[in-house]
Amino acid sequence: MQEFDVLVVGAGAAGLRAAIAAKQAGAAVALLTKVHPLRTNTGLAQGGINAPLGADDSPEAYAGDILQAGDGLCDPGVVQAFTQQAGDAVMWLEHMGVPFNRGADGRFDRRQFGSNGKARSLYVDDRTGHVVMQVLYEQFQRARIPLFADWFVTSLAIDSARCVGVTALGLRSGVLDSFGARAVILATGGFTRLFMPSTVSIGTTGDGQNLAYQAGIALKDLEMVQFHPLVFPGGNALMITEAVLAEGAQVVTAEGQPIANLIGATRDKICIAILQALQNGASGVALDLTPIGAQKLHSRFSQTNELIRNFTGLDPAKDPIPIRPVAHRPIGGIEVNVSGQTAMHGLYAAGECACTGLNGAGRLAGNILTEAVVFGARAGEAAAAYAKSAPPKAFPADRLEEEKKRLEALVSAGKSEDTAGHIHGELGRLMSESAGAVREGSALQAARGRIHALKERYAQLRVRNESAIYNYELVAYLELGAMLNLAEALVVAADARNESRGAHRRSDHPARDDRNGLCHSVVTLVQGAPQADTKPVVAL
Amino acid sequence: MQATFNVYRKEPGPNSKPGRSTYSVEVAADATVMDALLKIRDEQDPALGFRGSCLRGYCGDCTVRVNGKAAFACTAKVAALAKKGPAEISVEPIRNMPVVKDLIQDWDAFLWNKIDATKPWLEPNGSTADGEQRIPDTVMAKVRKAMSCFYCGLCDEGCTVLPVDFNFLGPAALTKASRFTWDPRDHAVRERLQILERPKGMWDCVHCFEASEHCPREIAPTERIMEMRDEAFKYGITNEKVARHHLSFAASVKRSGWLDEGRLAIESEGLTNFKGLMKLLPTAVKAITRGKAPIPYLHHKREGSEKITRIIEKAEANKEK
Amino acid sequence: MKYAFYPGCVSKGGCPELYPSAVRVATKLGIELEEMRDVACTGAGVLPQYISDPINARTFAKAERMGLPIMTICSTCQGVFGQANLRLQDPEYRAKINREYLAEEGLEYKGTTDIKHLLWVVMEDYGVDKLKAMVARPLTGLKVSPFYGCFLRRPPEVVIPSKEFAGRKTYLEQLIDIVGAELADFAGKGKCCGFPVLTANEESSLGMTAKHTIEAKSKGADCMVTPCPLCHLSLDGNQPRAEEQEGKEINLPILHLPQFLGLALGFTPAEMNLKRHIVSTQAVESKVNMIA
Repeated sequence: MQEFDVLVVGAGAAGLRAAIAAKQAGAAVALLTKVHPLRTNTGLAQGGINAPLGADDSPEAYAGDILQAGDGLCDPGVVQAFTQQAGDAVMWLEHMGVPFNRGADGRFDRRQFGSNGKARSLYVDDRTGHVVMQVLYEQFQRARIPLFADWFVTSLAIDSARCVGVTALGLRSGVLDSFGARAVILATGGFTRLFMPSTVSIGTTGDGQNLAYQAGIALKDLEMVQFHPLVFPGGNALMITEAVLAEGAQVVTAEGQPIANLIGATRDKICIAILQALQNGASGVALDLTPIGAQKLHSRFSQTNELIRNFTGLDPAKDPIPIRPVAHRPIGGIEVNVSGQTAMHGLYAAGECACTGLNGAGRLAGNILTEAVVFGARAGEAAAAYAKSAPPKAFPADRLEEEKKRLEALVSAGKSEDTAGHIHGELGRLMSESAGAVREGSALQAARGRIHALKERYAQLRVRNESAIYNYELVAYLELGAMLNLAEALVVAADARNESRGAHRRSDHPARDDRNGLCHSVVTLVQGAPQADTKPVVAL
Repeated sequence: MQATFNVYRKEPGPNSKPGRSTYSVEVAADATVMDALLKIRDEQDPALGFRGSCLRGYCGDCTVRVNGKAAFACTAKVAALAKKGPAEISVEPIRNMPVVKDLIQDWDAFLWNKIDATKPWLEPNGSTADGEQRIPDTVMAKVRKAMSCFYCGLCDEGCTVLPVDFNFLGPAALTKASRFTWDPRDHAVRERLQILERPKGMWDCVHCFEASEHCPREIAPTERIMEMRDEAFKYGITNEKVARHHLSFAASVKRSGWLDEGRLAIESEGLTNFKGLMKLLPTAVKAITRGKAPIPYLHHKREGSEKITRIIEKAEANKEK
Repeated sequence: MKYAFYPGCVSKGGCPELYPSAVRVATKLGIELEEMRDVACTGAGVLPQYISDPINARTFAKAERMGLPIMTICSTCQGVFGQANLRLQDPEYRAKINREYLAEEGLEYKGTTDIKHLLWVVMEDYGVDKLKAMVARPLTGLKVSPFYGCFLRRPPEVVIPSKEFAGRKTYLEQLIDIVGAELADFAGKGKCCGFPVLTANEESSLGMTAKHTIEAKSKGADCMVTPCPLCHLSLDGNQPRAEEQEGKEINLPILHLPQFLGLALGFTPAEMNLKRHIVSTQAVESKVNMIA
């Protein structure tokens, strides 16, 4: 067994930032991840990273835009803390080497993105996430934090309502090992692979959310899922950065009619506008990038240009690109406070797997990377402080053995008609249909029943690959289990919110209900089933 | 559509012999090789090993060879391959990359460990002002270009040195390190250059331009490495043997306008390096007997050589660090 | 057809068989050469660009004054020139070099100089049909492996500036066919010979020498032909050391491009200075002498 003060699970922007912060606070830190840090979903974030650094901007103005996008559900205290820290957090990235685009005066160039009232998104061409990820990983290396890459965390170790570590499967060795820690930070990213199609990487399967959920931690605002409006729906679906709208691209119907009033709109509003156009008889909707011009497409948007050409076969300098809204990022997740603390001692969460209450019912465009570095750092510091002061607690003696037996029982060679891939496909299509950008009560209830049936089929499945090294079939199986649990919880939360607010739209409740709806949803696992409840929005 | 794949297989461990497995699978019309592999693993062969993350061609994890050409499994379209190529679509690991299992390549040995060895992080100056610095975008653009690298490994795959010397740092690691050379916020340029100048580092590159030809993002790794070498020349080359060679070359051209090869051969080894000079002897003797040994130091100056001397003196005085 | 002839350093130094054979072949074909004498070494990729760009710009300016395109007989010269010339197409950069280095001598490079290797000259400017007609002694039965030298193939934007030059990738193979010889194709024909890394890593360098010569031999080659004297120094000059490192006999004769072409044009092996090589060309000479 290996022991550390702080263990971080997940190597995206939030995980790396948390690990660096914990190390700088004096803790002995290690990071476990199922994919290498340079292959994480952080690379998906392209358009920019928000910070109130402009002369015409302020943390207060930034807060105002967040509150507006949050449609009444943001926790103001969290918004204030976040907007106060965002500037420094992003400046730190620049000092550590992010080569943000600069204007003619050599100062940061900033984009005005989505419903931000000011141009406050710093950017690196159209690969902001990719570059931020590299700089964070470099500083992680500089801090000499041990990296366990290709390790899959299978369970949390809990003793007397306190998290004391994890069990993890080393994919390269095929061996299950235990990692003791005084504090564990979950930074495992989103869960949108439970929708099909989605915009995210293969491993975005909600592993951390499920681990916390199984441990009795509440999942907050789970029904709030951000759909991205500009997604080419063919194959595995290709997201096109919203920054293109800020630079002249237009959304048009297949008949050539531009869809109005999209500049400055929140993501969910753009999605609804597109869906409405389709309902009103348009045979399709497309993104016209030609106004950006070939030269800018090659320089400022070279990755967008490259991806569209390789993925769709179309040329954005000439052709309209068919798009429609596709599931993108969760807004809800593991309930945490502003320092990433969950309700369980020794367990923290940061990044896309966590829900601090910052975004309410809708995330402001450009916030995701800022959240990763602000809350990642806060969680790292908080976890390190806890690790310093907490009394030592032993890793439960038989946890590793139990977990080994559990995993061994899943493996059984032999043929099967049913597969994890089939179940995942059905789940994904079900969620897109029934829990998509627009939902309806009876469909959600039916969906819950169908998820049940899928879970029963899942329970019958076995992992047929008996070889231990790089058993990705076992990993996919465990990931599917997480997604089934989260899908069920999500559907329950969506059914419980009988109104339309932010990213959650109900065709049977199209209006906002400020009398009953000004509260967070929380789902907890009670006797093996998701139980929905509410929590008030925390006043300032 | 039906498609048949012929996939490289290998069990983990040094003693297992590689083989092939053939799979026929039904895939959607717009399916990629990655979609096919996922389906094969799900329905037919759960032990099939392969990597992947982003599914859209920007993370570099699924680099493979498809029908003999380097490709990303997640953007290689099955329909196009089935139309153009052989009846069985071949999928195998890329060259120069050790294999752990099947298509799962050992990125640690191939790339990650090499990057780790180059001090691949910015060393900020402690006295940097707390706020925004003004930096021209042309400077940042150069850094951004190098950082658009997504570690796909194709430059290392095309490298002509790696098959002969696997311990060469390789174009990917060198290009990543090169970005710090032009970043005014870094304060470890000299130190990093010294690390990169060690054996198996930047001076082992043969500037064959294969890396630049293989790079799918026009980062031009070969040019980046050459520029880094020019920087090392400005700072003073710290690799002794290379320094002797380069300084002798420069001195020769500066003096006479062209290269005194005999002098170069001797001075590269070092005038007092008896062992090294002795090693040259057999070749030198053969060359002398065939009348193709240029006599060192008795090297006539070319017409107009004083003009060349003048230019080189000026260039050396002008060089900006 | 007239060219400003740039022979480079090695063709008169370490490979003195190259210069006279190149001149003989050019003369026979009727290609007029005016040798550039007061120009510097290109720098061969060893000198840093801040030194080599000015001295190469001077060479280009002189050729411009002569009103002639430059012809090279070395892949390395060709490559360094081509890469420098591409950089000097940028008007600001060229103006800077002119101002700081060339003006003093009363020179100015206007960016118009064209530079071609002898291989490109014969295949493009001279013409394949004309060349075919000049073959006096078809090298029937001689199995030849081509070895280009990196800079005659890459980087693509320098070597193939537009689609019409795409044939440059296969000129050596085409030439082998034109002179009636047989192609012994092999994978290493466009790879690096190892010469540039001889100082920094001798083992690597000799490893490459061995790899390519051994591979060509395994494909049945009687000899290799190369348009670069630095490749020649590596493949021929260092072949004995490569044999020692590999623990294997190689014994593959390496011909310079003009020597190879010259034999087909009717010159004798003696006239092509074949005796100067480190690796004996006797087997090639015998085969050629048997051809009437």
